[in-house]
Amino acid sequence: MTSWSLSGLSSRVDGFTLGPIDLRLDTGGAVAVIGRSGVGKTTLLRTIAGLLPPTAGRIERDGEDLTRVPPERRRLGYIPQSLALFPHRSVAGNVGYPLERRTTAPDPAELRALLDRFSLAHLAGRPTSRLSGGERQRVAIARALAAAPSLLLWDEPLSALDPTARSSLAELLGGVQRDEGIPLVVVTHDPEVAFALADRLLVLDAGRMAFVGPTTQLVDGELTAFLARFIGYENVIGRDELRPHAATALDAWLLERAGPGGLAISAEAVGLVDDASPGFVGRVRQLSPRPDGVDLRVEVEGRTVVARYRPLAGAVTYPRSGSPVRLQVDEKRIRRLAPSVGAA
Amino acid sequence: MAPARPASALGSRIGRAAAVVAAISLGALIVVPVLALVTYSPFGSLAGAVQDRGFRDAVVFTLEASGLAVAAALLLGVPSGYLLARRNFRGKSIVEALVTLPILIPHLLVGVALVVLFDRETLFGSVVVRLGIPFLNTIYAVVAVMTYVSVSYAVTASQLAFQTVDPDLLEASRTLGASPATAFRTITLPIAVRGIVTGGVLAWGRSVSEVGGLLIVAYTVYPVGPWAGPITSPASVYLYNLYTIGGLPGAAPAATIFILLGFAIFVTVRLLERLGRVVWRRQEFLP
Repeated sequence: MTSWSLSGLSSRVDGFTLGPIDLRLDTGGAVAVIGRSGVGKTTLLRTIAGLLPPTAGRIERDGEDLTRVPPERRRLGYIPQSLALFPHRSVAGNVGYPLERRTTAPDPAELRALLDRFSLAHLAGRPTSRLSGGERQRVAIARALAAAPSLLLWDEPLSALDPTARSSLAELLGGVQRDEGIPLVVVTHDPEVAFALADRLLVLDAGRMAFVGPTTQLVDGELTAFLARFIGYENVIGRDELRPHAATALDAWLLERAGPGGLAISAEAVGLVDDASPGFVGRVRQLSPRPDGVDLRVEVEGRTVVARYRPLAGAVTYPRSGSPVRLQVDEKRIRRLAPSVGAA
Repeated sequence: MAPARPASALGSRIGRAAAVVAAISLGALIVVPVLALVTYSPFGSLAGAVQDRGFRDAVVFTLEASGLAVAAALLLGVPSGYLLARRNFRGKSIVEALVTLPILIPHLLVGVALVVLFDRETLFGSVVVRLGIPFLNTIYAVVAVMTYVSVSYAVTASQLAFQTVDPDLLEASRTLGASPATAFRTITLPIAVRGIVTGGVLAWGRSVSEVGGLLIVAYTVYPVGPWAGPITSPASVYLYNLYTIGGLPGAAPAATIFILLGFAIFVTVRLLERLGRVVWRRQEFLP
């Protein structure tokens, strides 16, 4: 049973300040850190890893103060976004690296077991430059676990992988997390990864904790504009954005239905209707094909609305870029948003 | 009718052809003069050059002095290259420009500068004289000139070599249990070693080919301290002497031997470096 805690943790890098961050991680617990680019997600991981000295606060493991302990004595598995595989070492040389550091006589059986577990045995002697994206990720994970870590730090796992490799690796990671129970902090832009690996979300905004809560919040809890965008709502409109424009019929209509933080509408909830039906008239600006239809970016009264067009039997003509369309929003599927103050 | 070749493919073919022509021209530029020299002397005269005691002494002395100069250049150059690669500080571009200064200065002037520096009238020179350390026409002067003219190559090659080591790799190694010294030994050095060896080879080549500065400070080298060998000259100066006394027939055989020896050393160092990497990889911990 391992427990990590960060209290009031702050650090500075190139004029950017992270923190204060307060977080507790117990065995089996996993936190997904999300936020826009440059809000300090990687800085947080590097501070926890001991690669950046904190300017304030404490890092503890089972009550032991690790704030000033160098990275090599923290027992961590840190996987940076670049994976940082050693180019002058083979696959086995990479996975065995932490074993060589832990003992003067590393156990070949331990290395073999790790290579087998991540289906790398047949690649043991291969240079890392000759691996596929998925294989590289597996080497990075195996190498991190070889360090016998008491905390896993993971920066953007599965990024730059094709969908098939992503899903098989996500399954593998989920398995590792369940089996090992090693607490995990994972930085991600991907709601699927956050949902698959983490039980809590930490939203960072300008270096500060904007929100901490269970990942289930994304499905059934209150959403802020940031969380709504994160899980993929195509139309997210903050309440502040509506006020200056409320003169238009569309904005007045949206404002009436908005929560304190605005509202989110998926493209699926916005459909095309014929001229006789009530709706908002706009002009198609852009079309993007989707598995179940076409997403249309439609300009309506100075605002861009994303709608989903599904050609049904008998209605096979696609709208063209520049053509006028009439949109209708399914009111029941509008999600009212919580304010961003104190949350993301 | 065959489909028309796209313009970009044609462009890349022309580019490739131009690169091949450039490479062949470069090869010719380097090799043809050397071949002209090497094939100038009859084979028998090469044996005569090898038997020339004075030439042998000069070559042995040059190998010793250049070895010391390379060691000094690497000792000073590798840590400096590391700092230049890893640290940003005010005035860094000035330091980088200073590092290349020895390449810019005519090497005759390097000799002149050292003569001035070690003159008993200067503060430095007077201290050296008072300490009883001889300088001019000793191995010290030869090593000083050789180090001066070659150190830029060691610094610059090391700097470039260290710059190729991604800092992410070092951070990853730290989190995987390596201390800073271990990270340097197991990650930085193995990745940078090829560039450092290149710097050493360039520095050595530059040392043995130096003439101008050595003509000024060590035309004749007298034994001193632990270097109790015969009275000799640096090989480059010896060859210059052969040329001024005996013309081309007098100098060409010894020059041929010297070039072949230098080339053999270059190749050997490269092979050793490659062998070292293979041996190092074999030592990797494998299941």
